[in-house]
Amino acid sequence: MIGFTTTIPLEILVAAGRRPADLNNLFITAPDPQSLIEEAEVAGFPRNICGWIKGLYGTVIRHGISEVIAVTEGDCSNTQALMEVLTLHGVKTIPFAYPYDRSHESLALEIHKLARHFGVSRDQIEEARDRLDRLRRKIHEIDRLSWQENRVSGEENHLFQVCTSDMKGDLAGFEDEIDAFLAQARQRAPLAETLRLAYIGVPPIITDLYARLEEMEARVVFNETQRQFSMPYPCADIEEQYRRYTYPYDIFTRLDDIEEQIALRRIDGVIHYVQSFCFRQIEDLIVRKRLKLPVLTLEGDRPGPLDARSRIRIEGFLEMLKARKP
Amino acid sequence: MTTLGIDLGSRKVKFAALRDLEILWLRDFDTIPFYKRYGGLHAGRLTIDFAALELFDPAHPPAAMVATGYGRNTINLEGARIVPEIQAHVAGARFQTGCDTFTLLDLGGQDTKVARVEEGLLQDFLMNDKCAASSGRYLENMAQVLDIGLDELARHADNPVSLDATCGIFGESELIGKIVEGHPLPHLCAGINATLVKRVLPMLRRFPQDVLMVTGGVARNQAFRHLLRQAVEARLLVPENPQHNGAIGCAVLAAARPLEK
Repeated sequence: MIGFTTTIPLEILVAAGRRPADLNNLFITAPDPQSLIEEAEVAGFPRNICGWIKGLYGTVIRHGISEVIAVTEGDCSNTQALMEVLTLHGVKTIPFAYPYDRSHESLALEIHKLARHFGVSRDQIEEARDRLDRLRRKIHEIDRLSWQENRVSGEENHLFQVCTSDMKGDLAGFEDEIDAFLAQARQRAPLAETLRLAYIGVPPIITDLYARLEEMEARVVFNETQRQFSMPYPCADIEEQYRRYTYPYDIFTRLDDIEEQIALRRIDGVIHYVQSFCFRQIEDLIVRKRLKLPVLTLEGDRPGPLDARSRIRIEGFLEMLKARKP
Repeated sequence: MTTLGIDLGSRKVKFAALRDLEILWLRDFDTIPFYKRYGGLHAGRLTIDFAALELFDPAHPPAAMVATGYGRNTINLEGARIVPEIQAHVAGARFQTGCDTFTLLDLGGQDTKVARVEEGLLQDFLMNDKCAASSGRYLENMAQVLDIGLDELARHADNPVSLDATCGIFGESELIGKIVEGHPLPHLCAGINATLVKRVLPMLRRFPQDVLMVTGGVARNQAFRHLLRQAVEARLLVPENPQHNGAIGCAVLAAARPLEK
């Protein structure tokens, strides 16, 4: 098993025959994610550092993961210190960087370095890309069923999309799961039309956000980052694919994609999720300036169900959206 | 028709009764003693012992009741329609002032809300979500450290002492440090009021600066209002009953319901 701290060119691991593990997914689906954070704090991680970083640390230690690909640019600069701490524990770390300027040349070099590390050829990568794209296309269909046909809930769509970063470490098993879900979802009666929300920002650390929103008669029909994990654009080569992947680059690149999808998916309001102590919180002011729709900024700190205060804010926000609806 | 509005706040439970859209009476109770004396749980729903409260003649109960406030997610008040807090506050502010386009700043016991209302419609709103250092509770704590009442605290706006702690509790020890340094009481009070203004300004700056409506218990603090007026471009508007604004809004919404389709 090889761990990674956020979406990396998965094709390389698949081509190398290694089992990929997105540490975020391992962390948040652990039976007791809170205790993984506590382990990190006991080890000395500061309280005012993002819960994901601490959760990733706890996950690596608990699972005894010996090799980790660390995205040190384009995701979270705290990862650099995380890697240093893991190195102290004897974990082998492989850095990967998404260049801020999205230059083809720099990205190609990063991908080449990673491929060389795992000893895979260009042909092997392209072969793996074909295999992965087959799964990704099915995930895109789940997404389409969610926003175009209202047959898939926001939470189901979120979970399938978020799993595309590592395909649950088991391509064949995950594909069977997708196939079974698609067969069943296509037969469903469309869900009642409710408030249509966009969810932007990193996936939530709040465990029941989508379910609570649906209880309040609002449905997420656009998951920004999770959709990006599923590589929504057909691309000629792997470099182009990871250049078009918006999440690790600047906020303006992300906003272009967000605005396009908001219009396409007939969105009523936007939930901008930010993680406590994350640099991306700063970008909220740009999001609010650019987007023409009402934006609710929701902040999450530690894993667990939606807290009462956030719920009050969401209710007020949804109330406002209902009042605005013609 | 008489309607009753109830705002279950973190520090006070407030009631407002309207008859034909005129305020009949307003009442408030400290939250914890209120729940101890008049509250009860029956089949998972909060009930209020209205007979013991003696707010109205039991033979003539209000025609409709609307409630809002803290903890309303877990509590269903029997016999009342529950509305989101922000809706109640906007309704109260519009009713009390007749104003339809404004920015609302509601400073309650622990909550700070800023809402933008244009032509009667809620456009956007913000709420403090991690810390109560910009709320009435902060003023209460600081007044307690100074061993004075809230009324005394509200008298001073000149020569504010600089208080910089981001945490309300650390702010107390910072204040003690200032006392030891020998700053006079009025300057310390002014510093506390000015700190509250500093805390709410970033929230206010997101919204148009035309009319700023200030509600909640803190709106009664004249020094805070004075310092806020200096800090913003907007025209400050304080309704006659700022602390009961949410309860009044609920009573207004209770009256409006039978008129809906």
